[in-house]
Amino acid sequence: MHPSKSIIFFTVISGTGYGIFIGLLFNVLFVEISYNLEYKLFLSLASFLMIVTGLLSSTLHLGHPERAWRAFSQWKTSWLSREGLAAVITFIPMILFYYFWIINISGYILLLILTSFFSIITIFCTGQMYASLKTIPSWNNPLVTPIYILNGITLGSLFVYSLNFYFNYNLNLFEKFIYIIILLNFLSKIIYWISVRKKSNTNIETAIGIKSNGITFFEGPHTGKNYLTTEMINTIRIQNSNLLRIVFCVLSFITPIYMINQYSSLVTDPFIIKISMIIVFVLALIGMIIERYLFFIQSKHVVGLYYGNKN
Amino acid sequence: MTELPKKTNKKLGLVIDLDICVGCHACAVNCKEWNTSGHSSPLHDVEPYGDDPTGVWFNRIHTFEVETEVKGSKTVHFPKSCLHCEDAPCVSVCPTGASYKRDEDGIVLVNAETCIGCKLCSWACPYGAREYDETAGVMKKCTLCVDKIYNENLPENERVPACVSSCPTGARSFGDLGDENSEIVKLVSEREGYNLMPEQDCKPVNKYLPPKLNKDIFKNKELKPISKDEDQDFEDWIEQVQGASE
Repeated sequence: MHPSKSIIFFTVISGTGYGIFIGLLFNVLFVEISYNLEYKLFLSLASFLMIVTGLLSSTLHLGHPERAWRAFSQWKTSWLSREGLAAVITFIPMILFYYFWIINISGYILLLILTSFFSIITIFCTGQMYASLKTIPSWNNPLVTPIYILNGITLGSLFVYSLNFYFNYNLNLFEKFIYIIILLNFLSKIIYWISVRKKSNTNIETAIGIKSNGITFFEGPHTGKNYLTTEMINTIRIQNSNLLRIVFCVLSFITPIYMINQYSSLVTDPFIIKISMIIVFVLALIGMIIERYLFFIQSKHVVGLYYGNKN
Repeated sequence: MTELPKKTNKKLGLVIDLDICVGCHACAVNCKEWNTSGHSSPLHDVEPYGDDPTGVWFNRIHTFEVETEVKGSKTVHFPKSCLHCEDAPCVSVCPTGASYKRDEDGIVLVNAETCIGCKLCSWACPYGAREYDETAGVMKKCTLCVDKIYNENLPENERVPACVSSCPTGARSFGDLGDENSEIVKLVSEREGYNLMPEQDCKPVNKYLPPKLNKDIFKNKELKPISKDEDQDFEDWIEQVQGASE
């Protein structure tokens, strides 16, 4: 599939924004921290901007962005419609939470739980939109949606971690939470990479309905490109996909774990360590963008069979 | 609405005979010609006279070489357009309801007034039946010539999709595939017509008739001259040629 920049950006950035609530919820429930106003304002603004810019960028790839409101109507059948609706519903507890939390009114925990719940629902719908497409065998995989959710929680938690680190808040328990999330994410990814190696049962024989020992693509409908070939059939061949997978794992999994585990042994200015933790988050974000890019570029749509692709 | 009808009154569709198709592309050209001024008009082209022209087509012909048991390999021309599936995934993924399947005849259409151009339907279709019109910013697809098959201004025998009326070999048939007594259903059962990609569970209405890969006309047959008197044949032939040129 063609990797559309706006879709990659949307899914990673808004996923991070939603994930922030999960990371924060863990801290609010299990760690005693008295958050100061600066922290609250910064976290609220950051999560809000990430979600809003993500949603806005997702409308950029539409042919008619001015008609985007129509996309809320078909929630009975369409995961894309459900995603849009879930994203809008999330704003209600989210904005109330910001208000209650910043003003320090009791009841914000319940609103945070609701925001976290709808955040996961929104990412779930995004994942399902891809996972429900039978036409793209590597997406039609039960691990796609969990990985979307885990990616959001990983990045969101790393953001909250770097912020808590900056404000010198208690991190002991939260560190363990991040280890577990990253470990789950890594394991899911490994199992996913192994499982997508399996060949799809859609092949050239079922595509044209002829059984034969050898079917070769002789001639296309035209000599140039068309919408299908540019949108769904990649001409970019990634030579070093394994290398990119390793880069992703290093940036998004190994670097954060190493830094969280080893920062106390680094002998340097505490302010530099604080900044490094923010850089760790940015690197993890870049890793996730690479992962999402691979998710698109390595997926093969079955329509490619009609244009001479192998399954 | 993007909920699929449980049952349509008719199942209008095409039956394409891969044994007859010669790959002349006339159906695709006539499709473009009719539809560029029809329901989804215009079918935009981008840089039609430039170095890298592209454009929207509803019907495209692919050609494959198929190895056969009897005689080497055979060229199979494979025309492909929307199959107007019963369980059309392109319809149920549509977030706006712009894609719909008609209750009365099962034709799958796009409402260009409400399509937001998200392209998800084209991702959901395994057959590549939908093409995005980047000039108009909306998705377009085969309409089964809905503006031709019901057009009372046309003589009755012309009320068939453009691809069917233009096929010089009669490789394309049009009819109600839900009517057990129709000619088209009989043709499908006689020739063992099949669905494309049945494992994708789209239940396409359009059917394909298989090419006869192992035709035995050449098998175990001695080639013999068909006439006994060669001189007489030659004279006849000269006469025929002269007659034709006069």
